Amino acid sequence: MTGTVRRTGPAPFDMLRASRAGRGTTRTRRVSVLAAAVFVLFAVHARAQTPADTAAAAFKDDVHAAAGLTCVACHTSGVAGAYAAPARTSVAPLCARCHSDAAFMRRFDPQVRIDQFLQYQTSTHGRRMAAGETRVATCTDCHSAHGVRRVTDPRSPVAPLNVTMTCARCHGDPVRMKAFGREATPPADWAASVHAAALLKRGDTSAPTCAACHGSHGATPPGVTAVANVCAQCHLREAELFRASPKKAIFDALGEAECLVCHRNHRIEPPSDARVGLQAGAVCADCHDDSGESAMTIKQVRLDLDRLSAAVSDADALLARAEQAGRPVDEGRLALQAAREHQVQSRALVHAFAVAPFSKTAEEGLGAARRAREAGDAAMREWRVRRTGLGVATLLVLGFLATLWFTIRRLPDPPPG
Amino acid sequence: MGARARAWLEERVPLADVVDALRHKRVPHHRYSVWYYFGGMTLFLFGIQVGTGALLLLYYRPSATEAYESVQFIVTRVPFGWLVRSIHAWSSNLMVGCAVAHLFSVLFLHAYRRPRELTWVTGLILLLLTLAFGFTGYLLPWNQISFFATRVGTDIAASVPGVGHGLVRFLRGGNDVTGATLTRLFGFHVAILPAIATALVGLHLLLVQRHGMSVPPSVERDAAGSPGTVRSIPFLPHFILRDLFAWTATLAALAALSTFYPQELGIKADPFAPAPAGIRPEWYFLWAFEALKHVPATIAGINGEFVAVAVMGTGAAAALALPFLVPQTPTGHRVLVWLGVAALAFMGGMTALALTGGAP
Repeated sequence: MTGTVRRTGPAPFDMLRASRAGRGTTRTRRVSVLAAAVFVLFAVHARAQTPADTAAAAFKDDVHAAAGLTCVACHTSGVAGAYAAPARTSVAPLCARCHSDAAFMRRFDPQVRIDQFLQYQTSTHGRRMAAGETRVATCTDCHSAHGVRRVTDPRSPVAPLNVTMTCARCHGDPVRMKAFGREATPPADWAASVHAAALLKRGDTSAPTCAACHGSHGATPPGVTAVANVCAQCHLREAELFRASPKKAIFDALGEAECLVCHRNHRIEPPSDARVGLQAGAVCADCHDDSGESAMTIKQVRLDLDRLSAAVSDADALLARAEQAGRPVDEGRLALQAAREHQVQSRALVHAFAVAPFSKTAEEGLGAARRAREAGDAAMREWRVRRTGLGVATLLVLGFLATLWFTIRRLPDPPPG
Repeated sequence: MGARARAWLEERVPLADVVDALRHKRVPHHRYSVWYYFGGMTLFLFGIQVGTGALLLLYYRPSATEAYESVQFIVTRVPFGWLVRSIHAWSSNLMVGCAVAHLFSVLFLHAYRRPRELTWVTGLILLLLTLAFGFTGYLLPWNQISFFATRVGTDIAASVPGVGHGLVRFLRGGNDVTGATLTRLFGFHVAILPAIATALVGLHLLLVQRHGMSVPPSVERDAAGSPGTVRSIPFLPHFILRDLFAWTATLAALAALSTFYPQELGIKADPFAPAPAGIRPEWYFLWAFEALKHVPATIAGINGEFVAVAVMGTGAAAALALPFLVPQTPTGHRVLVWLGVAALAFMGGMTALALTGGAP
């Protein structure tokens, strides 16, 4: 990889760009066009910008500049005004001079890590770079050279919302990747995953991006045996259940990458009850047929999942009807919340690959959903009683009104006043 | 036995002359008499408010930590609590509606004329008190919408020059809307305002009884030349039965609204939460709320909000003094009718604008 990178990425990243850019209205677009025109006019008359000018301008906003460093801190061999770019193979060692020096770095941040260069040397990027392959990434490709910002700065190319696009500049480029015999699909696959949805749609910056699973400075694909450990960083409960299940030994013997067998790697789809079962589209059916004890277990689990899901939906709809009728159903909502929590737990318990712990939780969820439904039924019953009561009362009032009306009509004509 | 009991009672509570006066009391009856009943309906709804308010007081707790929960308890646990609260809330809305209808009917039928000037003044003050009841009662459930609406509403007082900030502090019981504001508005709602309103209602009714119902000038003109030809009906039983009919119909409407459209409680107020979207006051303040949004920041170098508040204040003062300002001539009456129509159109238009989106 070189220092210059293409600014285009795979199509799914349009969503990411849109979320970062905000919604452009026609008015803002017009303003932008006008601003661009004014800028071009000025630019035509302005002095041509040299690379040194551009670098100097970017460096003004650099975290190093804020720490008091100047050009010569990195451009050690240059003379003022004529700085040569360091060779790509020497960039990481150059950065490491400071960033691996605990005593030096402590002056800026007492808790700063200093193992980036060590990790980089173990990464695919670092190993290839050490072997003289200069097209792979080095520090400046991800962090930029003269406008380096902290990771916590949202403008940093390695900030959570930006890091996948930074990786995708190379790993989403088929031409670049072909040279290394790799597919350029991972970024697009990730963009279609449940993890991307969490980050881009819900704004959950703790959602995993490339670096969460591959590491940042030590970036490398996790091996078959390491995948489960990577997933377990967040999905702890599921990992514990899986390790205690009979599946663990079977997958190990088959050399399968545990979680990935059912969930795949980059394009991890949102969990769904439909993935469990022996029907078409269910992941269990990839390995199991409709025979034996395991088929019974799978069917039972799916049946309970469906029952629980239906019970939760029914109770929710009933409570919503009661609420629309103006009936407070707080107790029902609490029970429904408990049912939903049991539903989440039972979905996690699918990873035990056994009926016992799963069914107990699912039954508890069904019980909670039943209580929610009973609360909804009671509220609706009361609502019906009220309507009936009001109907009777209205009839009585109308009868009284009619009586009054006839009484008024039958009053003798008043004597003249 | 009955005669003896009546005699016993009459000896101790001598009301025979009052009953006799009511028996002989007569009420004008003409094509506009239907408007006479709105005053009685407003009084009936005031009675409903007093009754349901007293019942709510049995359970309501006026503090920021307990108000919301106590209202929640009333609507979920107290037998028929939901109905009482709903009737109280709906009745307040109907009461404002009836009072406004009564006011404009008096205006358009020119019932404020001599010698009923003070009847008009007490009636208008009663309408303002009704609005004050609405404003002070709105915060009492301590939910999110009412909390922020009260904050916006009390902020308006700050635009009064000189005393504005003091006025806001007086209304809020501090710099911001807090539990102190709730306690304060509760005190206004259940003690101070009812005391003033009850006294004024008594005075208003006394004046109505002493002066009798006003006959519109047009009806008087039709009957001109033959004095005493304006038709009238006895108060007992002709008028009172019609009044009872209107009250019963109001009660039926109130029960239906309370059952089919019970008042929602919303979510508990959180002073640290951002203001929710769609904050709006009760419908009868919407026109002023919307109008203020359209007022420019400055008008001729003066704070726009102050100008708007000054205009509204002048309007209210002019309305109070209306019987003394309007010339009692056909032209004066005509001008007043058009002014009334314009005011109604403005308030209706602004309310419609607020309901359909309005200014941001």
